Amino acid sequence: MKRKVISLALALSIVLTGCGAQKAPDNQDSSGPQADAAVQEGGAAEAQREDPFGRYEEPVTFTVALSVDPNEVFPEGDSYTDNQYTRHIKEELNVDIEYLFTASSSDWDTKVNLAITSNQIPDAMVVSSTQFNQMYKAGQLADLTDFYEKYASDAMRAMIDSSDGLAIENVSYGGRMYAITSPSDGDYELTWIRKDWLDKLGLDVPQTVDELEDVAKAFVENDVSGKGTIGIVGPQSGGLLNATFLSNGTNNYGFDSFFSGFGAYPGWWILGDDGVPVYGSITQQTRNALEKLAEWYAQGLIDPEMGIRQDASEPIISGRAGIFSGGWWMGYACLPDVIANDPQANFQAYAIPIVDGTGEYEPHATGASTSYLVVSKDCAHPEIAIKLNNLLIRDESSFDTSKGNIGNFPCRIPFGMHDESIFTVNALREVLAGTKTSDDFTEEQFSLYKLLKNDLATIKTVKLEPYDSTDIDTWDVQADPSSWARNYSLMVGWGALIDGARSDVYSVIYSQTPTMEQRWANLEKMENETFMKIIMNQEPIEAFDTFVEDWKAQGGDTITQEVIEYYESKK
Amino acid sequence: MIQGKSFSRRVFRAVNGVILTALVLSCLLPLWYTLCISLSGKSAVAGGMVSLWPVDVTLSSYEAIIKDAGFIRSAGISFCRVVLGTAFSLTVIVLMAYPLSKSKREFPWRDAFMWILIFCFLFNGGLVPWYITMKNYGMINTMQGLVLAGGVPVFNVILVMNFFRNIPKSLEEAAIMDGAGPWMILLRLILPISKPVVATVSLFTIVNYWNEFFQGLVLATTERMYPLQTYIQQMVVTLNMTNMTLEQYQKVSKLSNQGLNAAKIFVALLPVLAIYPFLQKYFITGITLGAVKE
Amino acid sequence: MRSMHKRKRYSAYFCMLLSGFLWLVFFNIVPMFGIYMAFTNFNPGLGIFRSPFVGLENFEYMFVLGDVKQVFFNTLYIAVSKVLWNLIIPLLFALLLNEVSHGFFKRLVQTICYMPHFLSWVILAGILASIFSYDGPINAIRGLFGLEPFLFFGSTKAFPQLIIWSDVWKEFGYNAVIYLAAVTGIDQGLYEAAAIDGAGRWKQTWHITLPGIRTTIVLLSVLALGNVLNAGFDQVFNLYNPSVYSTGDILDTWVYRAGLRNFQYSLATAVGLLKSVVSFALITVSYWLAKKFANYTIF
Repeated sequence: MKRKVISLALALSIVLTGCGAQKAPDNQDSSGPQADAAVQEGGAAEAQREDPFGRYEEPVTFTVALSVDPNEVFPEGDSYTDNQYTRHIKEELNVDIEYLFTASSSDWDTKVNLAITSNQIPDAMVVSSTQFNQMYKAGQLADLTDFYEKYASDAMRAMIDSSDGLAIENVSYGGRMYAITSPSDGDYELTWIRKDWLDKLGLDVPQTVDELEDVAKAFVENDVSGKGTIGIVGPQSGGLLNATFLSNGTNNYGFDSFFSGFGAYPGWWILGDDGVPVYGSITQQTRNALEKLAEWYAQGLIDPEMGIRQDASEPIISGRAGIFSGGWWMGYACLPDVIANDPQANFQAYAIPIVDGTGEYEPHATGASTSYLVVSKDCAHPEIAIKLNNLLIRDESSFDTSKGNIGNFPCRIPFGMHDESIFTVNALREVLAGTKTSDDFTEEQFSLYKLLKNDLATIKTVKLEPYDSTDIDTWDVQADPSSWARNYSLMVGWGALIDGARSDVYSVIYSQTPTMEQRWANLEKMENETFMKIIMNQEPIEAFDTFVEDWKAQGGDTITQEVIEYYESKK
Repeated sequence: MIQGKSFSRRVFRAVNGVILTALVLSCLLPLWYTLCISLSGKSAVAGGMVSLWPVDVTLSSYEAIIKDAGFIRSAGISFCRVVLGTAFSLTVIVLMAYPLSKSKREFPWRDAFMWILIFCFLFNGGLVPWYITMKNYGMINTMQGLVLAGGVPVFNVILVMNFFRNIPKSLEEAAIMDGAGPWMILLRLILPISKPVVATVSLFTIVNYWNEFFQGLVLATTERMYPLQTYIQQMVVTLNMTNMTLEQYQKVSKLSNQGLNAAKIFVALLPVLAIYPFLQKYFITGITLGAVKE
Repeated sequence: MRSMHKRKRYSAYFCMLLSGFLWLVFFNIVPMFGIYMAFTNFNPGLGIFRSPFVGLENFEYMFVLGDVKQVFFNTLYIAVSKVLWNLIIPLLFALLLNEVSHGFFKRLVQTICYMPHFLSWVILAGILASIFSYDGPINAIRGLFGLEPFLFFGSTKAFPQLIIWSDVWKEFGYNAVIYLAAVTGIDQGLYEAAAIDGAGRWKQTWHITLPGIRTTIVLLSVLALGNVLNAGFDQVFNLYNPSVYSTGDILDTWVYRAGLRNFQYSLATAVGLLKSVVSFALITVSYWLAKKFANYTIF
């Protein structure tokens, strides 16, 4: 009943504010859906800045959708719909947050896709890149360009600008922004190795692909775990061999870092030797890499159950596996369980294997986050989505997250500086080395690097002497497990990324072209199946050549042409 | 019986006993395994160390369930749904089955209705149109949505219909002679002698409503309205945790407590297992007479 | 006078049918407008009826996709095998169980064997995965015979068998209930007469039990025809992984992925529609078959 009244009020407000301005529901309309006619009066089309934290005189209802953790425990009386964040928003902006739907992470995609296909979308929500493209195509999105110009706070601009335009480019069509996203740290994968096993066998840290192979072989042949050692972990059932230009989050337990050692970038649109974009999965380098991985699989170096396990981290946790490819934040992921089972398990991260010739680690990288904040074209106040994030960036550090996960902040995009982790690691190192203290950092730095203050305050509770080593026995995990997770990930994971010589490989494109919308799902499926079978020795490496032909014939050539056109247009 | 004492008969019995025991074990072990997981420590489970005996025995999973308001609430919703749904579904099934059990001579439109029923059973517009329709009816987030969407299982209608057909015609003819109308006949004559099939269909309906999760998932916009199976399904499904950002990972990491999940599965199984023996005495007659028409 | 009675009776029948058919109209026939999507290039922003009409394009594309042919074949193979074994195994089980004279043991076996029927596939998937895993019990047993460990869930050959047999395992106790009931329904006098004539148990089974439940067998087989394209969404969905898509993907899982994951909603609807049409044809055929050859009306 309540919902009906609200939607009625909403419909009414759209009619009142929106009529006249919204002549056509056409997204391409260069002026965009202008709800606010006042801007036009000044004559200058360029938006003048408005108060990024402006409070509404009358209460405004704003519907959102939220991905929730059903196990979360709130303080007495609080809930997803009524908690410190919603109250803060009400107080600061006079906005009432309504939830069109909430879902746990496992149902989230289903619910969002259902909302999109049935055209029952909230005023704003956070979606994935594929969902964003689909919504744009369906004409469901509001043009946010002018709202961003008018309402984004200085801090938000600083963060978005730190990505060199990528964070804007990824959400733009025809020069207009249809979503807000944040820069990302890069979502690199590294090679994680049990250093205690290297020491036990007297081995050096491997650098090249061949050395890595030798280490895996030594682990397996000596059965260094004593319970049937698995050299290299592979993806789980449904897991990806590698991140792709569309699923470009961190791909844990895939083969990403190993692929890059061959100069192979499957799933990435890279520039060929001739400077023309080419799909990384069909290159000779990828063929070489697959051939080698198949060889490793045949030799028993790779988990024989790759692709089948329900949880790829299982052999890591049970202390049987020695090498895997994963993101910098493994301290949050499987490592706490690993250490719970074996406190001496010393997983360290390495920016390897390096590429022959250059001697550098050349991982594939992303420039912007995979979370897109989108606003419905029917929303009466699109600027609220931006104001909410202004508020979040300003006040995030003042919230007590023990009274509710920060993820429950409506429409939250994990904003951060492009170099957040690098800056933090360097700061931590200097504080540990005694060359700086917390007082040497400015308030502005603390406001842009939101967690820095807390990181500096807690590092010494979990990090023991000697400070120049990151081995597991120089940490006190129990002192503060959550702060250990962050600091270990930063110092070990990002530490390795900072110290090694590295050059990043970006994809030419991170979104779908028109033909992809029709054909990509099937091409991708063909690729996954073929590669998986080649690695698992179910098909010979020649299957790769057949795949390349089929891929080209079934739309790949057309798509490549479209990507080339896209690339040329961006130049 | 004389043959029962022969040697080959005894061998057969022994072999038969072994085969049947093996089958029984194959059915019991998975449940036992689930129980073991639910009683084992978290690290042991994640490390794959539990097989047929609990490791690091703990009752913490069951303690957690008792304190879990979400679980209790979902169980309540499921219970409500089963009670209301069974009442609704049974009424509709019986009311449909009776006219359809008539021959074409007794009720000329009978075949037409039957084929419409079969057609509707097989064709559907797909998830999205169905969802939009439900939304327009106001079925989202409501108990009537959970009850009504479950619908009329055609198989059950056929079962009851066939049972009715097996009732001797003479009974009904006598009633007609006495001037009883169809409603009277159905309520006073047919239903009282149809206890077995009603019990059987009740069981099917109860289990269907209890086990259904997909509609629960689609029709609820918040976990507060999830029926129990949906609640469990969304905790148990294996998440693809391999390709995500740290942000996303932090949101799901708390979900993967296999021991707790196993305990929840086990608790959710109990009601169904408890109700079956209760209805079993009617079950066999109901299903036989419903399925076989002589 | 007679026709008055008749009309009164008919109107009562219509009244009874009303509740059910109203439900069908509202909850089944109204959403059926969505089938139109199969003939459009569906755009959620425009809605079903304003999306551009493309005629049979989706169906043409469907037949171009090698995928769909494979998926049809997988579905047929898995579903038909399931139908066959789900008829045969429970029958054998029922016959074996019928030979048990110990009443308690008989009831115990029966009661336990239908338990898996009530376990959901979500749960069973997890259990099966660990039982058939590389270092799980099945491979441990293979090891005893000197066999190499085998990846059941990663093998395109083994996967369909796993699907078929895990389903047979889950349902055999439950499916046997109908057979058992039919067996119990056989006139005990026949057995006694046969025993007096000197017929052994084998002969009794062959000449009395099997003919006695013939109708049940025919009925179940004919009913099963309608399931020839139902390979079991819940089961496959929870057990499969990309490496076995080529033999394990079935129509229902494919439609789900295409529609809700990949946003190919029109294509998914087209495939779903084709499935409905074929199933409807099969059921019609089975109806006439049963009527013609067994003089039996299924519904």
